[in-house]
Amino acid sequence: MADAAGPARPRLGGRSGAWAFAALAAAALLAAVVATRPALPASPALARTLESILLWHSLMPRAATALVCGAALGLAGMLLQRVLRNPVADASTLGIASGAQLALTVASAYAPALIAASREGVALAGALAAVALVLGLSWRRGLDPMTVVLSGMVVALVAAAASATVILAKGEYVLSLFIWGAGSLNQQSWDAVLALAPRLALSAAAAALLLRPLTLLGLDEDVAHGLGLTLPAARFAVLGIAVWLAASVTAEVGVIGFVGLAAPALARELGARTPRQMLLAAPALGALLLSITDSAVQLLGSGFNDLAPTGAATALFGGPLLLWLMRRVPLALPPQAQDAAWGSYRAARSLRSLAPLAGLILAVAALGLLLGRGPAGWSWATGALFWDLLPFRGPRLAAAGTAGALLGAAGCLMQRLTANPLAGPEVLGVSAGGGVGLLLALTLMPTSPFAMLSGIAGGSLAVLVVMLLFAARPGIGPQRLLLAGIAMGALCMAVVSTAMAQGDLRAYLLLVWLSGSTNRAGVFEAWTGLIACIVLIAPLLLASRWLDLLPLGEATGRSLGLAVTRSRLCLAAMAALATAVASLLVGPLSLIGLIAPHLARLAGFARSRDQLLAAMLIGCGVMITADWLARLVVFPYQLPVGLFAALIGGPYLIWLLNRGGPRNG
Amino acid sequence: MTGFTAHPTRRTALGLIAAAGCARPARAGGLRVATVDWSVLETLLALGLPPVAAPELRQFREVAVEPAVPAQVTDLGLRGSVNFELLLLSRPDLILSSSFYAGSEPRLRRIAPVESFSVYAPGRPPYEPALAMTRRIGERLGAAAAAERYVAETEAEFAALRDRLKPLATRSVIPINLGDARHFRVFGDDSMFGEVLRRLGLANAWTDHTSYSATAPIGLEALAQVPQAEIALIPPVPPGAMETLARSAFWNALPNLREGRLLRIGSINPYGGLPAARRFARLLTEGLLAAEAARG
Repeated sequence: MADAAGPARPRLGGRSGAWAFAALAAAALLAAVVATRPALPASPALARTLESILLWHSLMPRAATALVCGAALGLAGMLLQRVLRNPVADASTLGIASGAQLALTVASAYAPALIAASREGVALAGALAAVALVLGLSWRRGLDPMTVVLSGMVVALVAAAASATVILAKGEYVLSLFIWGAGSLNQQSWDAVLALAPRLALSAAAAALLLRPLTLLGLDEDVAHGLGLTLPAARFAVLGIAVWLAASVTAEVGVIGFVGLAAPALARELGARTPRQMLLAAPALGALLLSITDSAVQLLGSGFNDLAPTGAATALFGGPLLLWLMRRVPLALPPQAQDAAWGSYRAARSLRSLAPLAGLILAVAALGLLLGRGPAGWSWATGALFWDLLPFRGPRLAAAGTAGALLGAAGCLMQRLTANPLAGPEVLGVSAGGGVGLLLALTLMPTSPFAMLSGIAGGSLAVLVVMLLFAARPGIGPQRLLLAGIAMGALCMAVVSTAMAQGDLRAYLLLVWLSGSTNRAGVFEAWTGLIACIVLIAPLLLASRWLDLLPLGEATGRSLGLAVTRSRLCLAAMAALATAVASLLVGPLSLIGLIAPHLARLAGFARSRDQLLAAMLIGCGVMITADWLARLVVFPYQLPVGLFAALIGGPYLIWLLNRGGPRNG
Repeated sequence: MTGFTAHPTRRTALGLIAAAGCARPARAGGLRVATVDWSVLETLLALGLPPVAAPELRQFREVAVEPAVPAQVTDLGLRGSVNFELLLLSRPDLILSSSFYAGSEPRLRRIAPVESFSVYAPGRPPYEPALAMTRRIGERLGAAAAAERYVAETEAEFAALRDRLKPLATRSVIPINLGDARHFRVFGDDSMFGEVLRRLGLANAWTDHTSYSATAPIGLEALAQVPQAEIALIPPVPPGAMETLARSAFWNALPNLREGRLLRIGSINPYGGLPAARRFARLLTEGLLAAEAARG
């Protein structure tokens, strides 16, 4: 791997120490893996044979796979960031990896012949569909980075939700969920290396040929035109290469998070500026990053078992690295001008126009209580049957509805607190932070609903405070905050996956929390949700002045007589608590905290009190609908409501964004 | 019919009971019984007492395979999220549950009285609890004699299989489930498969304990630790996994593979009751003996 870093060194003078250190660390760790591999308890002759096969057909291909995959992801990330002029683009934030994974999951469930014919082809089809969807949806807004990433994350979440739904519908959830979602580099032959290395070489060569367009892609469209370049063709070529690389990696080893995001960021930190430098530095750093991570999970695991799937562990190392670098990473591009997503596209609506929405929610709730399916098909529950079913339908309706309202409020608060329209409990890593808190609570305290809730709340609050401190630093643009949130979320989820890979009772409880099903909701859950709604949201309506003033910035707020720090902390605590209660009820993966405030704003509720109320009602309505559909669509089989909410709300949000955007694309 | 009554054996008697159960489904000793657990479902079916409702029947028919589930049994959806509404509408008089579903018990109790069993618990071999559960279910549903017969038949079948396996008594077996082409799940001596191996006089090649559920997958390299073991590969096998393995130098270099010690047996519920234990014992014995015969 030293020679992978070699060519980049001379051009990145001044940082050669860092390069040498990274290469040495990767080499030393790999040597340690080889030296400390566990001995096989077999007769000496057999052990010798098998150990040599393990070394040459398992360990070495694995090390090579790490380097090749890392380089491929680094290259893909760098190309995507360049072509989309978007420093937070990579295979995961654009939904490419999730799209490929969904295609593989669906094909292995329903068309195994396709997988046998070409895994890579299936993955590529899924990846292309995802990226076409993401770009198609943000086309009219000129591929504005924020819109692209927002669409990408929603598409990724919807794809992940659909994958989980397929796995659950097949009933193979226990074993599959441990492997699904996080790539493993474990190899038994050189097949993966032999498949990926030529693709990497080919892509690198093609990218090198596109160097001139790559340089120009950083420029404005008009300038590029003036220099005689047809940008769309060049853009599509580069995009195609990146998607192909990412899909190939996903097909061979599964989803590897973070490398494509971190490698180009690190490369910029180490001084790479021009496309030529980036073209060498990003793949080299990706290779080193993944190699170091993969060696570490092998060294830290016991016996032949890894500590965690490498694809998840990359965030354990890459997350903090990226957070630490964030202070200094110069954004590749000037920060976007006022983001259009902030503006409201229609005339502001008054609170009175919430009435139809409230009526609609009541109607859906009534439908949820009355209409269902039974052994004899669809039926209305009336009379005695209604009262028989109420103890089951009532609590889950209440739990789903209140969780939706809480998430809507939490998302609203976070968007106001950070002055960032993409903030939300899922995006800022606050939900995932709750998972780490839950893990700590399960480790340190006897298991009880109270311990679980306080664990989740503690974790959520800790992450939110970190994010707010981060957002308060001077010069942090919305993109960097977003990047930090993604890093924090991935880091927390990596900790959770590592714990889940240990496979004990905590793993089971974490899995239950992650999948978030209202089917478990009883009287306790219903009251928890209702009380949290009253206790947390009533004071917010009184604090709507804070919410109006905070996004205007600290100085403005202070000059208008606001105790800025205290009010921020208060609101943050409420947002964290609301997130925690909601994730206990419906799991951390619903995206409602992002979707509901957006829908509220796009519908024209601009003032903070109006937006808050509208977001709560929308969150409540989407969740109730999701819950009702989740229990009916594949009856008698039920789907997790959080994932189902993402399936409903995600596409709707994307559609609205696209429809409401200014026509400047 | 006269043939049956002239030479009554346990098997035909059970067959008759089962047939009676099928003709008049969803009635067990006068009680409408429902269950949310597969090991209970297996046991009920084996005793000829089909429940009115049970979870995840689609997957049960594929994974547990036997005993056959009559078409009249209502499918309650995923085990992980049992459809309480449908369970209520099935109007059971009694719900049989297990410790896996302890969290759902308050809600189950709203529907009907609940009796819960604990076959799988950390650090405790599951065979004796499965025996006790079979007897208790028989007692509770007025079929104590059928339960005793089933237990006796189970012990007799194990004894018979053990006899047939005498020539192979020194063999060790590692039962595995493939997660993908690179990972597998093992079953230690505290699992039902481990217990069956012991009762058949075979050694379990995997000597570590395995926690009772949600077992994390293990890298395939670990198979090098057990070169002499018969690998009992239990479905479902993920699509493409066997093709990948066929090209794997390591897999093909394993003495187990080189010397033909890979048994592909039928699907079995790893967390089942006595019927699953018997199915595993029978399929494994047949597989081992057939492989031995083929080897000469």
